[in-house]
Amino acid sequence: MAEAREIVLGGAADHDLTKLAEYEAVGGYTQLARARAMEPAAVIDAVLASNLRGRGGAFFQTGRKWSFIPKPDQNPNPHYLVVNADESEPGSFKDNEILQRVPHRFIEGCLITAHAVESQHVFIYVRGEYLEAYEIVVAALEELRERPELRGDVTIVVHRGAGAYICGEETALIESLEGKRGQPRSKPPFPAISGLYASPTVVNNVETMATIPPIFQLGPEEYAKLGVENSAGTRVVSLSGHVERGGNYEIEQGVTIRELIYDLAGGVPGGRKLKAVIPGGSSTVVLTGDEIDVSYDFDSLLQLKTAMGSAGVIVMDERVCMVQLGIRVSEFYEHESCGKCTPCREGTRWMTQILRKLEAGEASARELDLLLSVCDRINGKCLCPLGETAATAVASYVAKFRDEYVAHLDGGCPFGDDSPLDHVMAPVAQHHHSPAAVEVPVG
Amino acid sequence: MSAQPELVTVTIDDRSVQVPKGTGLVETAAAAGIEIPVFCYEPRLGAAVGACRMCLCEVEGMPPKPQAACTLTAQDGMVVKTAQTSPMAAEAQEATLEFILVNHPLDCPVCDKGGECPLQDLTFRYGPGSSRMQFPKRTFEKPIPISPAISLDRERCILCYRCTRFSEGVSEDGQLVAENRGSQTLITTFEDEPYTGAFTGNVTELCPVGALLPTQSRFLIRPWELQAVPSVCGMCPVGCNVSVETREGKVRRIHSRNHPEVDEGWLCDKGRFVYSHIYARDRIVDPMQRAHRRGFGAVSWDEALDEAERLIRAAGTRIVTALSGSETIEQAFALAQLLRRGVGAHSAVLPEEFDESLAAYRLPLSAIADAQAVVVLGDEPVVERAPIVDLWIRQARRNGARILDAADKLDGLDRIVLIDSGDGGERIGRLAAKLGLAGKDGSGAFYLPETANGRGVVDAWAAASDDEPVDPEPIGLLIVSGDEAAANPDVRALAEHAEAVLAITMFQGVVVGWADLVLPGTSYLERDGTYVNLEGRLQRLRRSVIPPAPDELAWISKLAERFGVGISPHPAVVFEELSAKCYGGISYADIGEQARLPARSGVTAPSTTARKAKADNSGGLRLVRYRPLFSGPAVERVPEIQFQRPAAEVELSAKDARKLGIANGDEVVVGSNGSSRELRARLSRTLRPGTVRIAEEHAEGLQPQVEVSKSNA
Amino acid sequence: MTLADEIQKVAAQYPETRSAVLPALRMAQERHGWLSTEALREVADALDVTPAYCKSVASFYDMFHLQPIGRHVVEVCTNVSCALVGAQQVLEAFEEELDTRAGENSPDGTATLKTIECLGGCGWATIVAVDGHYRRYVKPEDVPGIVEELRNG
Ligand SMILES: Cc1cc2nc3c(=O)[nH]c(=O)nc-3n(C[C@H](O)[C@H](O)[C@H](O)COP(=O)(O)O)c2cc1C
Ligand code: SF4
Ligand code: FES
Repeated sequence: MAEAREIVLGGAADHDLTKLAEYEAVGGYTQLARARAMEPAAVIDAVLASNLRGRGGAFFQTGRKWSFIPKPDQNPNPHYLVVNADESEPGSFKDNEILQRVPHRFIEGCLITAHAVESQHVFIYVRGEYLEAYEIVVAALEELRERPELRGDVTIVVHRGAGAYICGEETALIESLEGKRGQPRSKPPFPAISGLYASPTVVNNVETMATIPPIFQLGPEEYAKLGVENSAGTRVVSLSGHVERGGNYEIEQGVTIRELIYDLAGGVPGGRKLKAVIPGGSSTVVLTGDEIDVSYDFDSLLQLKTAMGSAGVIVMDERVCMVQLGIRVSEFYEHESCGKCTPCREGTRWMTQILRKLEAGEASARELDLLLSVCDRINGKCLCPLGETAATAVASYVAKFRDEYVAHLDGGCPFGDDSPLDHVMAPVAQHHHSPAAVEVPVG
Repeated sequence: MSAQPELVTVTIDDRSVQVPKGTGLVETAAAAGIEIPVFCYEPRLGAAVGACRMCLCEVEGMPPKPQAACTLTAQDGMVVKTAQTSPMAAEAQEATLEFILVNHPLDCPVCDKGGECPLQDLTFRYGPGSSRMQFPKRTFEKPIPISPAISLDRERCILCYRCTRFSEGVSEDGQLVAENRGSQTLITTFEDEPYTGAFTGNVTELCPVGALLPTQSRFLIRPWELQAVPSVCGMCPVGCNVSVETREGKVRRIHSRNHPEVDEGWLCDKGRFVYSHIYARDRIVDPMQRAHRRGFGAVSWDEALDEAERLIRAAGTRIVTALSGSETIEQAFALAQLLRRGVGAHSAVLPEEFDESLAAYRLPLSAIADAQAVVVLGDEPVVERAPIVDLWIRQARRNGARILDAADKLDGLDRIVLIDSGDGGERIGRLAAKLGLAGKDGSGAFYLPETANGRGVVDAWAAASDDEPVDPEPIGLLIVSGDEAAANPDVRALAEHAEAVLAITMFQGVVVGWADLVLPGTSYLERDGTYVNLEGRLQRLRRSVIPPAPDELAWISKLAERFGVGISPHPAVVFEELSAKCYGGISYADIGEQARLPARSGVTAPSTTARKAKADNSGGLRLVRYRPLFSGPAVERVPEIQFQRPAAEVELSAKDARKLGIANGDEVVVGSNGSSRELRARLSRTLRPGTVRIAEEHAEGLQPQVEVSKSNA
Repeated sequence: MTLADEIQKVAAQYPETRSAVLPALRMAQERHGWLSTEALREVADALDVTPAYCKSVASFYDMFHLQPIGRHVVEVCTNVSCALVGAQQVLEAFEEELDTRAGENSPDGTATLKTIECLGGCGWATIVAVDGHYRRYVKPEDVPGIVEELRNG
């Protein structure tokens, strides 16, 4: 029986860790003092030794990322730490809970990181919709105001987003923080060399930050022993969809998806059959009900050509139509495409159009091929991963549920409104800001 | 300035090529004779953005997916494969084109861009043969005017963001922007406001499809039928290099002809759109004479030349000649010879006074972009006088230069550029001497003359004779050369005292009622000849269309004969003679299509003849009246650019405004003893406290010192 | 404090004032309810950017209202996780109660009803944000009560 292993969320069940006093009572901010007593390079080495990889989705080694920041004598510009709290990946809501329940642990992680990369300026980019989380973090920072010894010479500015998924992509986030439309930049240069205000910048995820204090508390080597090879430590996994007890569960990496669903989240309601699982947020390749014995870690999921992404596990039971899923996911990316690069901007819209025709039972086999071809033509051609993941995700639904797609060709959807995703009104389909561009629905 | 750049070897499609390290891959391929197709890439707009994905290529050693070549630079040993040799790149480029065409209306037969459209061309070369798109395309209301001069067809737009990058990062006007996100994105201005500013027309040339088009030539051109004449713009002292494009003997369009040292391929809207003034309804095509009791009427050329001869002989040395500064140097030299050598009439109202000592600090305009400090003196807004210089200054600022309004805090800087619009350049001449800029690479000084070729005209007038002019009293004959001189109130004042007036102008409206004899003038688009720009660069005007009347040089030559002065009707011959005197004997061939800047001359003392600003200490605010870019007889005759003319505004410094309790947009009264005007206040962050600025046409009747107060109404 | 002063204060937190565009737009929206032409101009003046720039930025983000809105804003998440457990039915209940359609204002001006992409509360579906505050586990049968509350508030 798999169990939770709470490190990031540790203590939050028994204490109100949003309060500075209670956080300190469980040893909070002592790791900050320890880290500050170390040379920045030694802090980076410790994090390298912990094998921590970023929790934002790209799974990049955190210590290595920090080590790319030029030393002050190589680049006189100020260094910035930008924390990515823009969590908007469908299926993911872990950062939301981390910010609301352990804000001080998160802030302590930010301050340790700022020390490691020799930065005095931290910007926390909080997703605009996360009002509660924002208020809790601001309140926590307010408490720190009275504690100069904790704050040190670091200023922390909480910057609220305004509703755009793409701003979770680190360079789009930086553009947005600079007051612009949040469109990704072409890389290189990478943020570590030229990021915010063209200065060296580290961008890290909320959970990554909140994992830093426990790493120092356990000791990097101990931390590295948690989880499995290449996927050390714990992850806060968001479970949603057709499960009895949706929510966030912090586990050691290496638990299987089946255990996540059945042991922790209570299984599929109503005794229904599990049909499909999106393992890491809607950007990841879908798994069939037969593939859920895979261990939830980077390498194992890679073998199935999918990923942990932002650890948002979406569970679907037998009633769900995979074409409808395709439409809804495609609509999401069409709506969230920033519009900068051609394949994503035009391709996601085209994908939705074809999928709608399929759902209506008006498409031919050639159009099913066309859908795959369009996905293929988006994939690998875009400026950032948004468009690419839209294409790979949708293509995976066709690949893994091909019979179901083919069944739609004559006679339309075999599920109809038995499927909970039938005729869902997506934002892209509702009247939008723009009076000029009016979508003509198909089908 | 810097050491020789390191050369690297890059292999593109099995061809190897050597380029300086850091050269863009698109340019590197071009050097190897290979095309990497692009839409969004345009180095003049700043760093590559990699948006359109047209340039996808395969690059060995990089992740195994197509790479946006426009964002990469040449590194030693790089191996690049374009669509010619890489199936991956070919597939990627075809994919991009397919996606672009998914929502493109394919209305090429009725599109003005057809025939010179990169989208058309690249689709032909790299695109899919047929469309697999069977869904409704995105539709928009179209075309919409984004200003009276430019129309926008959003269905044709491929969202390459060239136009918005220009607006944000080159002209820095921030008016043309993208709205919305994703496939709903569209290009727009704020609400219904027209895209206004000195440089808006450049977006019509940047647009790689037929989305942004000039309204002036809508449905009037088929690009392959246009004939392009390489010339220079005659509208301001920058002298941007242009391609004057004609169809069926009419000018239909003016495009830039990038001179990297002068204009970098940008034009101002005046230079781009003003051409249709040559088709103005009141254009003078025949000589006109005021006859006793019969009024003003057309006469034959023989009659007109007879009358001109009579007027000149009657006045003899009592002639005053008012020049516009828009004459070619050949034309001005011919006129000067006729009058100075023919009858000894040396008196002239010259369009400019110019400090020749500045020739020691000569620089190409492009050097401004590399300066560490740019000192801008004078009250005239640079953009109104020499618009492209404003773009160069903006580029300098983006490159990190300090832009100063006084010559201080310059210690320790190497590359200093001085720019002045006052004093005929004397002030910066002195300053340049003091700062020792003559010996400094990348440093120099620019005076911004008021007129396009005023410098050349002054040279030419002086070259015709060494005799000192004596101002005649009374004036026997006032010769007014050009519409600008004719529109000049000072010249009109002289005419009041002249016994007779002979005018050479293009437009009736300018001369009716006060000239006795009018000979038809021609435009810079209709003449062959030479201009000297503000850098001191001699550039060739080429006749693009035949004028409706013989050009000035032709009849001046005939008239001169009657006074025993031999002047060739051929500009090249006239130029040779003048060049021997003033320009080191260079020939037309030496000038070529892309003129070089002459070398710096030796350091001389600044002249002291330049006029001094009249000091006035009567209190109040000092009024600076400037001549707006969008003004003058030619501009007045082009309907599409009337919206660009200055609003009835007074510019106030933020400090003065605060003192006077005036907010941006307030209605105010500007008055000086006796007269006053109602204007709208505009606060400026750059104007010096103590001064107010008003466009000439809104400052009529005001004295040099004014009071400003909030309107009571 | 005037809006301009407030904006300037926020702008001082950033090395470059342009960074304050998003907060400034939000503050203007909080004052005026939505970003009218005048509101956009105010922000532009305060930050020395053009109104066109402000609108360009504002229209990129979903949270800015470029059209007048109702007294309240109801946003129903209809992304996959919420939709799997009945978000569409919740939306329809709101449409019914408010007598309007997604994307529009209710005729009585009580609320603007919108669907919204994943709000980051998937495990507590269906999430409905009412004036920015999340309500968890919303079921169609909860909707009349919520609308009643909004009508009175
Ligand atoms: C379309 C897109 C959306 C993203 N959204 C998020 C996000 O919401 N939160 C996040 O932390 N990272 C997100 N990322 C990943 C970030 O670009 C970046 O890799 C991450 O913030 C780095 O932090 P880490 O190294 O701590 O994981 C996103 C990436 C893409 C391409
Ligand atoms: S892939 Fe999509 S989101 Fe990413 S840059 Fe291109 S258009 Fe923007
Ligand atoms: S030319 Fe390279 S992406 Fe547009």
